[in-house]
Amino acid sequence: MDVSTQLEVKQQSLTVEKAVPLEFDLALLAGFDINTLDEERLRQNTDKYLKECSRNGTQLIINEIFKLPTNSTEDGTFAELPDQITKIPREKPVPKPKPLTRWEKFAKLKGIQNRKQSRKVFDEATGEWVPRWGYKGANDDGTNDWLIPVPQNAGINATRHTRNLEEGARGADQKSAKEELMKKISISKSATASIGRFDKPLKGEPKIKGVKRKFDPLISDMNKEKEANLNIVNGLFGKKDKSDIINARKARNMA
Amino acid sequence: MRPLTEEESKTFFEKLSKYIGRNIVHLVDRPDGNYCFRLHKERVYYVSESIMRRATSVGRDLLISLGVCFGKFTKTRKFKLHITALDYLAQYAKHKVWIKPNGEMSFLYGNHVLKAHVGRITENTPEHQGVVIYSMADVPLGFGVTARNTIDIRKLQPTDIVVFHQADVGEYLRDEDSMF
Repeated sequence: MDVSTQLEVKQQSLTVEKAVPLEFDLALLAGFDINTLDEERLRQNTDKYLKECSRNGTQLIINEIFKLPTNSTEDGTFAELPDQITKIPREKPVPKPKPLTRWEKFAKLKGIQNRKQSRKVFDEATGEWVPRWGYKGANDDGTNDWLIPVPQNAGINATRHTRNLEEGARGADQKSAKEELMKKISISKSATASIGRFDKPLKGEPKIKGVKRKFDPLISDMNKEKEANLNIVNGLFGKKDKSDIINARKARNMA
Repeated sequence: MRPLTEEESKTFFEKLSKYIGRNIVHLVDRPDGNYCFRLHKERVYYVSESIMRRATSVGRDLLISLGVCFGKFTKTRKFKLHITALDYLAQYAKHKVWIKPNGEMSFLYGNHVLKAHVGRITENTPEHQGVVIYSMADVPLGFGVTARNTIDIRKLQPTDIVVFHQADVGEYLRDEDSMF
């Protein structure tokens, strides 16, 4: 075999012909071959045929990678991979929409929309732009005094105010009263002498989820473990054991 | 087998400190190699790192014991020292009681130490203090808790209890079956 035929063979192995061109997602270094397998060849020599198929596929991916723009650094030449095409489903479910607040519900019902107000307003009396409120503001009509009388209708809003505070205290994701009760039961269960170890479960008691026993690894950094133990010991005795400084009992006996 | 949690370490060291005080530090930080405390079947073992590493290849249900057993956690998560810890307690004990030869057998059968049997006691031992009990020949026999302080002991009758019995080496024979 002369050099030209050798080169030809090499060239042949570099170029692969496929009936349907492959789809590539080079960000994942993946190629997808949707060509049908040659059933006859598959039967005759399964291993060899599959190996050849995968080799050809790999060759095509490598060919494709070599077409990419490159970037040479001290460490070598790198191909710049494009963005990922394949969409991967998200791991967690889409978060639930937050429940609307009382005001948002009301605003939706009435069709109230937020509009951006300008900071300054035109004062026609003086012919100047003044701030809407605050120092030298347009709304300073004398009621910004340090002392103003309590209006007659004060206190009407009090009941609503307390209701709003209660709702606010419950937090954005308003937990049901039942859920809260169950949580409190589980807390109160540990309030026995045995920390709830020997208590009989109540009827319909919830199984506490997500509470996992967590222990340090059996084999870890020995120095760290030593340090932690010494810390505990030092915590027991305080910085310096006071009884070591003055032994009150001894002092009393000596006197 | 697992390391103690912080809470467990605390109760364990608290109990240990009643006998050896600050000397726990010498158990934790040893110049002759790494030693650690490991919990296995509610028992605390004091074991060198190399042996602990080797014991990892033994299954939990097959592993009976490793290193030196210091005691066990009760079901209410209190800690009870076992007689097997005596070697270390005797080495680092802060307060000691020596008992006369005529009281040795009585103590080794599990009785409290009477005043008549006390040969010597560390000066200024407070009341309810963990003490290690030795024979007059300085052989550690067990440990207990003082009933009175050193001054008050002088006023006691010879038949009054001086040290409450907690553990003695006689247990090696008496509780042979349940010990390990």
